Amino acid sequence: MAEGMTRKDALVAAGAVGAVGAGAVGAAGVLGLFGSEAPPEAALVAAYRRGELPQDDPQSSAWDDAAEAVVPLSPQRVSPPFLDAAGVAELRARALHNGSDVAFRLTWDDGSVDDLDGVRRYHDAVAVMLPTVAGDPAPITMGDRGKPVHILQWRATWQRDLTGQTGVDQIYPRVEHDVMPDDVLPPQTASLYWVGRKAGNPLSQVKRATPVEQIVAEGFGTTTHLPELTARGRGVHDGGSWAVALGFPAKRDGVGAALEPAQRWSVAFAVWLGDQENRGGRKHYANWIPFALELP
Amino acid sequence: MAKQRVKVRNWQLGREMDYWYEESRPVRQFTMIMDTNKCIACQSCTIACKSTWTWGKGQEYMLWNNIETKPYGYYPTGWDVNVLDLLGRQEWDGDVYAGETLFEAAPAGEYVLGWAPDEADWNHPNIGEDEPTGSADDTPYLEDLPHSLMWMYYLQRICNHCTYPACVAACPRDAIYKRPEDGVVLVDQERCRGYQECLTACPYKKTMFNLETRVSEKCIGCYPKLEQGLQTQCTTACIGRLRLTNYLSPPEASDPRKPADFLVHERKIALPLYPQLGLEPNVYYIPPIHVPVPHLMQMFGPGVERAIELYKQAKDDPELLGLLLLFGSTERIIDTFDVRDGVARGYAQDGSEIVAVPLREPTFVRPFEFATEVSGEPATGYRHNT
Ligand code: SF4
Ligand code: SF4
Repeated sequence: MAEGMTRKDALVAAGAVGAVGAGAVGAAGVLGLFGSEAPPEAALVAAYRRGELPQDDPQSSAWDDAAEAVVPLSPQRVSPPFLDAAGVAELRARALHNGSDVAFRLTWDDGSVDDLDGVRRYHDAVAVMLPTVAGDPAPITMGDRGKPVHILQWRATWQRDLTGQTGVDQIYPRVEHDVMPDDVLPPQTASLYWVGRKAGNPLSQVKRATPVEQIVAEGFGTTTHLPELTARGRGVHDGGSWAVALGFPAKRDGVGAALEPAQRWSVAFAVWLGDQENRGGRKHYANWIPFALELP
Repeated sequence: MAKQRVKVRNWQLGREMDYWYEESRPVRQFTMIMDTNKCIACQSCTIACKSTWTWGKGQEYMLWNNIETKPYGYYPTGWDVNVLDLLGRQEWDGDVYAGETLFEAAPAGEYVLGWAPDEADWNHPNIGEDEPTGSADDTPYLEDLPHSLMWMYYLQRICNHCTYPACVAACPRDAIYKRPEDGVVLVDQERCRGYQECLTACPYKKTMFNLETRVSEKCIGCYPKLEQGLQTQCTTACIGRLRLTNYLSPPEASDPRKPADFLVHERKIALPLYPQLGLEPNVYYIPPIHVPVPHLMQMFGPGVERAIELYKQAKDDPELLGLLLLFGSTERIIDTFDVRDGVARGYAQDGSEIVAVPLREPTFVRPFEFATEVSGEPATGYRHNT
């Protein structure tokens, strides 16, 4: 941040005005984020833990080792299209690391499971945004040109894809088909009728290895999918809320600097409620909060 | 990256308007002309499109082309009445639109004033089919044109490959684009992330969500055919021969030898659909002559009365009549046309003749002696050769 800039200026520059309050996760944490030379007091600390992390088990007791941060969420109204109505007020976050992997467990209230995409049917999802380098983070608006951010997104639909239970037959269980392309055409030709899939669009694939997609963005609308499937995760819906665990290697080859202790990191989150037609920029988001990894 | 409003020229409105991208017209603009008076709603076009492009799993409900009965038919349900209702009453000041477009009326945080059809709105492609207004009991005898009480007509619908597409404006990922070479509007199948913003924004409701690939798809203007100089599937399958696939120039570059320019700019007999919405749509309709003018003006703008008058006189206007007869006469795209010595001719870009159609077919009278006798009975008339 340029010298002489106030915290408010920084937020204006980041396009996050109106969401100032949203970042107030324990006042000490946020104030420590901007311009302070002293090591910040992080709002979220990834507790060190020896051995495997519960990357796809949000209900593991290992999460009890990590302190929970309660992160306020705001409807996204920085860049169109806006989210008109907020459907959830906060996200609860915990983090763990073991020197080679980093994992988060995120929980939020959501009364319904939305894990099938269709016409005007959207999915529940959560995303973790991380800077690609330590220090002051890029703008909260998913980075900016030349200032990329690293995003991990878990989607309920992708988790359901793993069971093979998505698509027309699931949306409309009584659907009747007469002749479909793959009944009468060789596979190569029939696949032309699934153009998105054929074109290699990662969104169109239903055979997937993980419900977590990694992307790099340089501003809203600029997401670039990372083909390496190094992130894992799993969500469990229970008692009116989602709990999602997701993890990935701390060494972020091709994305950015490795997440290491003794450095000043930040993290931000976003939540989508499918039944409230959240999708894309119509989301709830949390401003950057200071994030640190505990020394082993 | 938030887009900024800029001023662009929309000749259909006779004024400048706000849009989210600079004016950028293609080298030539794909267009389709529809003569609504000739349609019988056989849906041959619909099936031609469906069996070519959208018979895959996930595309079941998609009709890139559909024919609906006006005023009570629509696919998806209520597409036009809903957007008109949303926009509210607006006025024309002569040929200049004095109201607000969907871009100008967009609320804060939106690029376009729009609405999203419910899933069930896609369930009834034939809703209102053949339903006329009024009651036959009240109007047993319809000798006046246009009919004041009882009427219906068929509207042919494809994507309008708009000059100012709402789908493009609303896409937060710039995943929809207009081809510079022919103005065809396409969804980039690799870039789309399935947000369905275009389904909300397009007032004509001509982008559709693929249930298997989870991205949006739309009419592609049969671009692989265009690239070979051929008219689209829905055009060539039309048994009413009411469609013409063509290219349209902006008004100041109009060339009367070009079919679409002649109909849209010179004779002004073919009119855009709901021009007041501000998209400068590029499908043009010759309005139905038996339908009350106030209804048609709402749909096709202020040029309706003049267009109907011209159409009624087409029999005495060899150039217009000749061009209308060239509709459906060839699969190739007609670059220029002329009408000489009772024959309408269409030419390719290199000037070679593609097709010639006489304005009047020769009439042959068969002598009665050729009438067939049936099993020994004396001949009493001509036998139909069926
Ligand atoms: S009709 Fe709709 S889908 Fe087609 S270009 Fe216009 S706005 Fe886009
Ligand atoms: S132009 Fe081609 S893709 Fe478009 S509606 Fe007609 S047949 Fe279908």
